[in-house]
Amino acid sequence: MMLSWLHPLPKLLVALAFLLASILVFDLVFQIALSLGIILVLIVFERVPVWKVLLLCVPFALFGFGFLTTSLLFRQEAGVALDASGQSLWHALPFSAGLTLFFRAVAGGLVSMAFALTTDPGQLVRALMARRLMPPRFAYALFSALELVPDLAGAANEIRLARAMRTGRPPRRIPGPVEIGALVVPLLAFAVRRAGRAAIAMEARGLAAGGARTIINLPRFSWRDAIFVGMAGLLLAMLIAGARTGWGVPVSAGAG
Amino acid sequence: MTVALPQPDATPALAREHSPVLAFEGFEARYPFATAAAVGPVDLAMRAGERVLLLGPSGSGKSTLLLALTGLVPQAVPAQTQGGVRLFGVSVAGCRPSDWAGRVGQFFQDADQTLCGMRVEDEIAFALENLAWPEPQIHAAVKKALAAVGLPETVRRRRTATLSGGEKQLVALAATIAVEPQLLVADEPTASLSPSSSRRFRDLLSNWPLEGTALIVDHRLDGLVDVVDRVIVLGDDGLVLADGPPRVVFRRQRAALDARGIWTPLAAALDHELDAVDLAAQTMPLTVEEALDELDARGLDGKESGRARAALTAFVDRHAPPPARAASDAPLVVRLEAAACAPFLGPVVLSEVDLDMRAGEVVGLLGANGAGKSTLGFALAGLLRLKAGRRVGAMGSVSFQNPEAQFSAGSIAAEIEAALASADDAASLPGQAARILRDWDLERLASRHPFELSQGEKRRLALACLAADERARLVVLDEPLAGLDRRGAAMVEEAVAGYVRAGRAVAIVTHDMDFALRMCPRCLILGQGRVLADGPTVTLMRDRPLMELAKLEPPRIVPALDWLERHA
Repeated sequence: MMLSWLHPLPKLLVALAFLLASILVFDLVFQIALSLGIILVLIVFERVPVWKVLLLCVPFALFGFGFLTTSLLFRQEAGVALDASGQSLWHALPFSAGLTLFFRAVAGGLVSMAFALTTDPGQLVRALMARRLMPPRFAYALFSALELVPDLAGAANEIRLARAMRTGRPPRRIPGPVEIGALVVPLLAFAVRRAGRAAIAMEARGLAAGGARTIINLPRFSWRDAIFVGMAGLLLAMLIAGARTGWGVPVSAGAG
Repeated sequence: MTVALPQPDATPALAREHSPVLAFEGFEARYPFATAAAVGPVDLAMRAGERVLLLGPSGSGKSTLLLALTGLVPQAVPAQTQGGVRLFGVSVAGCRPSDWAGRVGQFFQDADQTLCGMRVEDEIAFALENLAWPEPQIHAAVKKALAAVGLPETVRRRRTATLSGGEKQLVALAATIAVEPQLLVADEPTASLSPSSSRRFRDLLSNWPLEGTALIVDHRLDGLVDVVDRVIVLGDDGLVLADGPPRVVFRRQRAALDARGIWTPLAAALDHELDAVDLAAQTMPLTVEEALDELDARGLDGKESGRARAALTAFVDRHAPPPARAASDAPLVVRLEAAACAPFLGPVVLSEVDLDMRAGEVVGLLGANGAGKSTLGFALAGLLRLKAGRRVGAMGSVSFQNPEAQFSAGSIAAEIEAALASADDAASLPGQAARILRDWDLERLASRHPFELSQGEKRRLALACLAADERARLVVLDEPLAGLDRRGAAMVEEAVAGYVRAGRAVAIVTHDMDFALRMCPRCLILGQGRVLADGPTVTLMRDRPLMELAKLEPPRIVPALDWLERHA
């Protein structure tokens, strides 16, 4: 079953449940299993290239790495935190708390990534509008903002080309940090202009508060969604149960 | 699926039977911090079924007038207004702009202003969804609109941001006509369209329902004037200068329009030449073909035939003079060898491009919308890396299709000074800046922010910045005439002549075939992912099978060239 075939709303529900679990269950095996499971689904079922998954993991790994280094630097406090959480399987390891925090950041990021990679933002916005979870004006503003993100790359490229022309040097293949910094204000101005124009365009084409509206190409629920929610729920319950029982491994004594 | 949300609190009342569709009553608009009114006071009315062409120089307030039509000015775009606007007999001041979406289709000057940043299908369906049309009807209307503008079904799922400038304009047009509006309002609908797409728009307008009304602003008149009933001309001061049937306005006011830098159709110039030899038709023809048909129908005697030939020769010399070719031994400026060109983050659109450009040479890059003309322009300038092949030569300068991308300063004067400073010409900077501002008629706007300008003024500023930087040996002009009035177009022609005199090579990306014929001795015809032909412009443009293959149309002046050949 491909995640991209599913209705966005049950998928959003499952993603939120997994995200919540990744925050609340402070267990290294749980976080690793969750991360590996999502990576497996993305690569095997969704055919996302391995390099893309790894590349997208980088920001979450960097975020998690901050936790890891902090826990290594303040090991004693981390041990206390781990004791308080009642986890002990990896307690013998000096950096177990840091590892758990690291994988928690990665697992949380992967859940969001899996949702984003397998969901058409237009379909999500439509589904939210149809269920009255979001008013059309807000939904289309959100939709426009989502579509703006890739356009920023095009605008940044145009600005880089214009600057290259002024300096008389061809643009570098990958912009350096100074160049990226210099792009921030013009891109912000572009985003503001674009938002203003989109607002006028939407108003001129009849978007207003209230009134009946048609939503075309609305995603429809199917038996696949029920199976997906059931299987995902079962899997999450098993993982939580595993984490609570210490994965069937004898519990060692606390750190002394 | 139709979702019933709470009903709107304000809908326009029903139109009164005999009231004009549209009426500006002493309407005047002034933008915040502006010293003069952007337009007006204007008094004009349009009856049901009228097709009106609104003309005027850049910055005369045409776009402001169109924005005010449904109340976007001042409700969405802040401005101080006086007088009133009535649509279908109802004052727009009492309604929201969105209330008119079912009856008024608005196509803005900048396609990005019409589009909301969605996929093509969603863009076209958006207004219909807002109007709660049943879903099957929406799908049928989307299909019909795509077909009407000549876009293939395969673009449905593409994001509009990934389309070329001309393709975006077609999507915006499809989105505008999909609602089958009673009043079509279009601001420069053909500015970035290929000749064949412009013809589609013309057909669309000529087949517009009899009771449907249309108000069009466009600088490309040929192909439009013969399907409108009335022409309204705004002057520099934003006041109505002329109003009447096109045959009357262009004959009686031709000199006044020329003097103010306002475009007139090519046929008006031919009519003037024929009038000078007492061979003008009783009523002014609106196309070159019509003028020549009338001439032939007269059965000219020997003397008259000689006078007609003289008039036609003068007309052709004035509007399509044989451009000077660059010397074949002039230094090479840029060379592409087996080049494969792709837009930023896009697939390869042109392959196996071999091209040499020499000093003093002007080359036209022609092709249908999405043929890869702009991409080739950027690749020629060295601003876009080739996917395959080799480029030899120093970096060039480009005037972008979207001029806003080039602006970075807080005022027009500062923008020009920055362009001069980058050319290491700081010593004579103030004098140079003043000269460039004067040359491009930007003096009175010098203190304004670039983003406050009209589209035509923005284009002039971008071209002025390019002219200020004299380092590049290659200049690429991407749709330099889009949004420009006749005076602006003359400035571009003068600039190109200056580049040639300075021994710079110039590549011109354009859909204006007459402009290409006038300016470019040589052109490349692009299509089907490659260069279809590379040769003398006048020869290629009269090659009908090639023009059809490239989805192009010959220049409007070609019938005159044919007539002269027949009557040689």
